[in-house]
Amino acid sequence: MGTTRSRVRRTGTAAIAALSTLAMVAACGSGGGDAAADGPVTLTMTVWGGDVDKKSYQERIDLFEASQDEISIKLQLIPGDKYEQKVQTMIAGGDGPDIMQVAEGVNVYSSKKQIIPLDDLAADAGLDLEERFGPVGTLYSYDGSVYAVPDRSGAMIVYYNKDMFDAAGVEYPSADWTWEDAQTAMEQLTVPGEQWGYAGAGWWAQWWSFAYQNGGRIIDEDGLPAANSPEVVEALQWANDLTHVHHVAPTAAEYADMGPDMGGDPAFAAQKVAMNTTGFWAINSLLEADFEWDIAPLWQGGEQAVSAFGSGLAISRDSKHAEQAFEAIDFLTDAEAQAVIIKNAQDVPANLEVQASEEFLKPAWATREVNMGAFGESSAFVFTSPLIPEWNQMQAAFDDSLSTFWNEGGDAKTQLDAVQQKLEAVIKPAR
Amino acid sequence: MAVDLGEALGTVRATRSHRAGGRRVPRQKLTRRRKVEARWFWLFISPWLIGFVGFLLGPMVASVYISLTEWDSFTPPTFVGGDNYVRALTEDPVFWQALRNTFFYALVSVPVGLVIGVWLANLLNKQVRGRKLFRTMIYLPTLVPMVATAMVFKMVLAPSGPLNDLLGLVGITGPNWLLDPTWVKPALVVLSAWGAGGATVLLLSAMNGVPKEFYEAAEIDGAGPVRQFWSITFPQITPIIFFNLIMGLIGAFQVFGQVYILTKPVGGPDNASMMMVPLLFREAFSFYQFGYASAIAWLLFVVIIAFTIVAFRTSRRWVFYETEVR
Amino acid sequence: MAVATPITPAPPPATRPRHEHTPARTLKAFRASPATYAVLLVVSAVFFVPFVLMVSIALATDATSATNMFTIIPTEWEWSNFADVFTATGLPVGRFVLNSVVIATLSAVGQVLSSSLVGYAFARLRAPGKNLMFMVVLATMMIPAQITMIPQFLLFKELGWVNTFLPLIVPNFFSNAFNVFLVRQFVSRVSGELDEAAQVDGLGYFGIYRRIVLPMMWPILTAIAIFTLTAAWGDFMGPLIYLNQEDTMPLALGLQFMTSTSNAMQLPPWNLVMVGSILLTVPMIAVYYAGQKYLYEMNLSGGSAGVK
Repeated sequence: MGTTRSRVRRTGTAAIAALSTLAMVAACGSGGGDAAADGPVTLTMTVWGGDVDKKSYQERIDLFEASQDEISIKLQLIPGDKYEQKVQTMIAGGDGPDIMQVAEGVNVYSSKKQIIPLDDLAADAGLDLEERFGPVGTLYSYDGSVYAVPDRSGAMIVYYNKDMFDAAGVEYPSADWTWEDAQTAMEQLTVPGEQWGYAGAGWWAQWWSFAYQNGGRIIDEDGLPAANSPEVVEALQWANDLTHVHHVAPTAAEYADMGPDMGGDPAFAAQKVAMNTTGFWAINSLLEADFEWDIAPLWQGGEQAVSAFGSGLAISRDSKHAEQAFEAIDFLTDAEAQAVIIKNAQDVPANLEVQASEEFLKPAWATREVNMGAFGESSAFVFTSPLIPEWNQMQAAFDDSLSTFWNEGGDAKTQLDAVQQKLEAVIKPAR
Repeated sequence: MAVDLGEALGTVRATRSHRAGGRRVPRQKLTRRRKVEARWFWLFISPWLIGFVGFLLGPMVASVYISLTEWDSFTPPTFVGGDNYVRALTEDPVFWQALRNTFFYALVSVPVGLVIGVWLANLLNKQVRGRKLFRTMIYLPTLVPMVATAMVFKMVLAPSGPLNDLLGLVGITGPNWLLDPTWVKPALVVLSAWGAGGATVLLLSAMNGVPKEFYEAAEIDGAGPVRQFWSITFPQITPIIFFNLIMGLIGAFQVFGQVYILTKPVGGPDNASMMMVPLLFREAFSFYQFGYASAIAWLLFVVIIAFTIVAFRTSRRWVFYETEVR
Repeated sequence: MAVATPITPAPPPATRPRHEHTPARTLKAFRASPATYAVLLVVSAVFFVPFVLMVSIALATDATSATNMFTIIPTEWEWSNFADVFTATGLPVGRFVLNSVVIATLSAVGQVLSSSLVGYAFARLRAPGKNLMFMVVLATMMIPAQITMIPQFLLFKELGWVNTFLPLIVPNFFSNAFNVFLVRQFVSRVSGELDEAAQVDGLGYFGIYRRIVLPMMWPILTAIAIFTLTAAWGDFMGPLIYLNQEDTMPLALGLQFMTSTSNAMQLPPWNLVMVGSILLTVPMIAVYYAGQKYLYEMNLSGGSAGVK
């Protein structure tokens, strides 16, 4: 199957390549061929991010290269917002990287067989994904197979401004809070026009958490969209009413007045909001802040649920050294290499052993007490995001129908009905 | 006075053309000469021709083919005939919305930009102290990266930002610009006007080439600066204004970066500022529907070429070439 | 070629350089009134705002940058941000600059050489099929580059040009539609009588191009050089697609890493982003400022004399 597909694809894209090279002397495509002979192998690995990411991945690669002398890795850093496009072009050209970082878009590649299933390789290497990563281990799955090994994975957490809580005499947030507790606290922490109890939940990772807490699912067990179920509607209405009915979170207009490109993260740093739900990355910019703050796991609804952000490492079908690539991935996600992620304050390592380690709980760079245990605590109730191949279309459907709703308020049911209609047109149910 | 001015110009022309010798060439020589001339024409344009055939024609033909297929850029394309075109024209409401938005943007921003550009160029063409500095300042928005300009615009267009403060002074309650489906397009037009100084480079260069004796002749007839602008400067620079018009139209129909960086989500609230190229970009690189995206691109091509042809037709009435372009 | 000499007419009295006019003798059309100054001052100030804000953000502390609470006028002066871009990021900024200079300069040279030839032909020479060819030139601009990008990548990959500067530079030696159209418009403005006279005197088409048309094209070729330089200097999409190794990247692409974050929702360090933007902008401001001399202040003896 694999070889026929490959041959078909080669003719397919060859047609386009031939048309592209139309008037030029058509080069007789002599691509490929040099199959892996034994001996030293160099792999390419694409990741996105900035300088801290480059540093962390390179240090981990250095550790891997020092551990053996058969495989070396060439790291290719790509600016984050251009990553998908660059990788798409590389793959279209038949030159997919051996190892590629993937995230929510993973199943675009897996559903089109551009990355390979890793189950057999994992079994051969004796790697138990559940054991190493917990429930996140099989996050990057499609059609019953795992396509990427988790590398970074951190739950969304609650950042809270201790000074504001103390001043208002409100108890600090915890995972035991219900929606009512959270809303009451937000109300007590709000000073109209000056300070808001909460930063708002307009981003999918935020309000989807509430939908899952409420027993809703965006995509149901059968792979069908369920975006307008009563549970999801109720959660979305609650999330949006915090802004437009209860005024405990800034409106889009109020954010725009605070500064350019304003949102929850900078507003929390600017002490405009008492609570913000976001990822690990905000810690770094708050270390120098001149107010007291800490983090806690997200509160709960009918049940506990929270989204997580992360990325995994996958192997492209263009790779001629899948085994070596997997060996590298295995090493990079093992404790020694994962510790680098936390040492550089890059992200939360997906490896549970590292998440529970002293290096993670009391990181060397923490200039103040931070409740890092909140991440481990949250890991227990992270919900599995519906990483469908049509992920980007799904996000666009929500964006298109909800942007005015978030900006100005309104009826969640009406909007989600519209979203549902779009999703049904786009998402083909799983077989 | 108009007559005097015309005569003045006529005089200059007459003397010069007299000096430069006749335009008429003996008839019978034309054909042979024309053949040689045609050969030279092809020789001169060969750099472009080779580049076109070598680097552009293939990819263009490929994209026509892709537009007739379903292709995700990874797996083999499936031929679907005109389905993608049918889908765009009959099934996709966002396509029509994007097309309307793009029309609005192009038909408002291009004239606005041209008027501001010509006006500024005319001011800069005067004997102003420190004009090198002024020229640089007015050209600056073209050089500053979009990301910086976008930050400014997010500040200026904030609901209680400086622009609305200004409107408040005259008793107008300003809208929420970038957050409001009705106002996000005008906001993009304002952003494009900000870059109108870019046109001044060519306009100034053209104005500088207008012979001073024209103005001297006009001066003797007592024409004021406004009159001199309309009777001398403007007609002389119409070819460059025309160039800016065509390029402005082509550019505006393909507006991309501004929409991408200024509106969130891309396309603004309710797709109110979704334009054609951001739409096809999203289809190609976010939804992996390269066939559909290519179809949109070719539909856009048809729209642009129609507008360009109209512009060329009307140009015969207002663009003045010293030599006929044959 | 001796033939060229008699063709150039004696400069008419009015073609002396404009700056020789004493203020008292300035023509009305060029007289600047207080209103002119007022308008120019206001417009310049408005257009200058993004630059000021860029500087203001570039000089903000990390703490301010984390809050997005920027002021248009700088209130903080964190000059070390500039050093940070070079040192703390670990990016080979010097190498980026060198790559940019090479790519931008060669691109500009290619465009100037090729578009002057092609543009001249479209403006002056007659041939059957010329109008059709010109429509094709224009049409190439009307198909969004985004859509031909992948086919073009496949083409350059077949040629083995990926991971070299060739896809970024070589096409410039074959001119582009914008510049061809621009030269055509510019040359069409001025009378063709000189070349016709030259022809009568036995100067060939290439001779006319070299001796008569090219000299008067300098302002427009300067403009093309500036446009190409700034476009190539600021382009990061082409380099992103074709270059894989860090040490081959130009500045504009290298600076993208400063705006890039570990997670999609994370905000970039705005202060460093703006330092990068300034580094990218200032050389082009200098190019434009210096280029003005050739764009506008030149005594276009060829051009003026060519106008009847």
